[in-house]
Amino acid sequence: MGNETLSDGDRRDFLIKLTSVVGGAGVAATCVPFVASMNPSSDVLAKAETEVDLTDIPAGGMRTVAWQGKPVFILRRTPEEIQAAQSSNGIIDPEPDSKRVQKPEWLVVIGVCTHMGCVPNKEGPGWTCHCHGSQYDDSGRVVRGPAPHNLEVPPYHFVAENKIVIGKA
Amino acid sequence: MKSLLSIALLCSLSVPAWANEAQLEKIDVATDKATIERGAGILMDTCHSCHSMKYLKYRNLLQFGIDKQKVDGWRGDQPLDAPVLSQMSDSDNMASFGKLPPDLSLMAKARDGGPNYLYSYLLAYYTTPDGTLSNHVFPETKMPDILNISSASDETQRKEIRTQAHEVVSFLTWVADPHATERMHLGYYVLAYLAVLTTLLYFVKDRIWSRLK
Amino acid sequence: MAHRIINWIDHRFPLSSFVKHELTGYPTPRNLSYWWNFGFLAGFVLVLQVATGIFLAMHYKADIAMSFDSIQHIMRDVNYGWLLRYMHAVGASAFFFVIFVHMARTLYYGSFRAPRELMWWTGQVLLLMLMATAFMGYLLPWGQMSFWGATVITNLFRATPFIGDQVVVWLRGDYMVGDATLTRFFALHYLFPFLIIGAVVIHLVALHTVKSSNPSGINLADKDNIPFHPYFTIKDLYGLGLFLIVYSVFVFFIPDSLIEPANNIPANPMQTPNHIVPEWYFLPFYAILRSVPNLVGGVVAMALSVMIFAFMPFLDRSRIPGGAHYRPIYKLQFYLFLLDMLVLGYVGYVPPTSQTLIIGQIATLCYFGSFFLVPFISKAEERWLMKRGLPLEVKELIEKESHDKEMRKRKPLRRKEGTV
Repeated sequence: MGNETLSDGDRRDFLIKLTSVVGGAGVAATCVPFVASMNPSSDVLAKAETEVDLTDIPAGGMRTVAWQGKPVFILRRTPEEIQAAQSSNGIIDPEPDSKRVQKPEWLVVIGVCTHMGCVPNKEGPGWTCHCHGSQYDDSGRVVRGPAPHNLEVPPYHFVAENKIVIGKA
Repeated sequence: MKSLLSIALLCSLSVPAWANEAQLEKIDVATDKATIERGAGILMDTCHSCHSMKYLKYRNLLQFGIDKQKVDGWRGDQPLDAPVLSQMSDSDNMASFGKLPPDLSLMAKARDGGPNYLYSYLLAYYTTPDGTLSNHVFPETKMPDILNISSASDETQRKEIRTQAHEVVSFLTWVADPHATERMHLGYYVLAYLAVLTTLLYFVKDRIWSRLK
Repeated sequence: MAHRIINWIDHRFPLSSFVKHELTGYPTPRNLSYWWNFGFLAGFVLVLQVATGIFLAMHYKADIAMSFDSIQHIMRDVNYGWLLRYMHAVGASAFFFVIFVHMARTLYYGSFRAPRELMWWTGQVLLLMLMATAFMGYLLPWGQMSFWGATVITNLFRATPFIGDQVVVWLRGDYMVGDATLTRFFALHYLFPFLIIGAVVIHLVALHTVKSSNPSGINLADKDNIPFHPYFTIKDLYGLGLFLIVYSVFVFFIPDSLIEPANNIPANPMQTPNHIVPEWYFLPFYAILRSVPNLVGGVVAMALSVMIFAFMPFLDRSRIPGGAHYRPIYKLQFYLFLLDMLVLGYVGYVPPTSQTLIIGQIATLCYFGSFFLVPFISKAEERWLMKRGLPLEVKELIEKESHDKEMRKRKPLRRKEGTV
């Protein structure tokens, strides 16, 4: 049987080409649900936004809330702390404090060290990460390495005077 | 263990009756938003005090397109991600009915006859000659006649109740299978595609096999 | 470039010659009908089940407190989870449907006969493994039918002599079907498909040794064989398209028609549903179990009813080649057997009454009878057909075969004479 000539003929045949394209498209489309099923499910996505009531945080106090499974630090800064934060721009990753807060009184940052992903502890002014010794100030800016970047500010907005929703700017 | 027990108790109520499907009234379940929203309203007002729908979250109602104000009214101060649980506790329910009202999340799929069963059951209440309440479809039921079909006096009232039952059942059918509309929608595309592909394959097969002659 | 890679591989591994010999150039009888598509379809469904199963396992939890909830999580929250689950659930039924047609074709055309006995037996092993896999998978949703189905089937092992009760407890890892049972069924349900794939490879190696049978039952001369590719690849793909249309109608429009309503109620060890039925593909065998009024007898009858197919190569003693093509009585017998299967399926589905019990018992007798009578009927049919006259090619074949047999018998004799 002339197998070689058969497949040579195939290559020229428009009908076979068309069918292969249509079939291939179907196979590709079938992959979509399989791949999509590994993305976060709707109940995980429902946790994408967290509502936090701020009323019971005292001045100088901090609360840790979970947002998308990650810790978020909410710090109610005293006037002195605000002043200290505004007076410098940070050392390693300079950024003015005004860009990191919506209201000077409230600092909201993701409590994940930008070095290796540990959770820093609140110690004195700012935070210290005990994994590799990075330090952050009361604006969440890194003041001592090895961390390369400031603590990330999550998207959030005030829905009331004392209520924020984390997850949507 | 506790949850196991409650599941066990829950099921002991829901004996699937080998119902004679012939005696059930057949209905066309509605899939439009307005009907389902009305059904949800009736259910949340009259059934939700005793029955849970633990696989339904308030956010599902919102995503489906039910009015945010209504959903907020039903959930009170519960978060949107909370399941729709009954207002009465299990122990209160046990005290009032002697058994636990079944969860309604999958009810439209969990009985022979499905929605037809639910519809017929809701409308099958009647008053026996000795004055007690009974149900043609499920005589052992402990549920009161919530739609008051047994005491309906005239035809307009009955018609009204029938409409309500239809709305409740439509809502429960959606709750049992919230992706049904999406599924069938996708199904039409898949079938259309397969029809084209199979036709093409037929012609390719014809052409290839014609080389043999 | 591609050519060079292939050359590199061919130097170290017989890739091209394997593909040419076993796939593209594999000689296949040109007269195969569409009934020969079902082996390929079974392979396709196997791949489909493995693929959907692996993705479902990423979301499923094998714990009695969580499994029912996790199915609802898949159905409601996981992206396209409902599609994967319905594809898998419908796929199980599709698998049995395709396998049953494949078996019916083998029986009808006598494809199990020499030299294809090993194919038939590996197929029998595949059927048993498929049944075990389906049965264990059915427990995983932890609904009422799952639980009571598993309870009934594991209880069958009480028929084991002397240690029946211990065997049942060992299988379950508990006194009742419980958490231990669910977890091990999940582990094995994940394992078995890979064993099945292994057995399929053996099945295919055997096929490529003896080559495909064909509707006539007579092995074709080389000139009547055509290469598998492109003729049968395209024919199989066309058949696949038709199959997928039917499959999609079930998956997208009536997926719940194959799921018992009671399985939407979480398992409750304190309450058996009023009417428990196995999945449709087990119904005939279940009917045989119920027809025997004795525990051990019923279990033995049911096991035998599945295993008895393996004896077909010994039971069919006709010298006329193949199956129904040249043998009208065999054909009639096949259709009666099919009818009997349908009756048994019906009896297995309806709640038992005294009438259905009697119908079931008669059908069970017919079921076994149609196997036990095969040797006699096939012989009688052969004599009748020989007398009536057979097509020339069949006659020649029979004469050639009896001649060959004679020669084989004589050979050792001659060798003896030589040594003397």
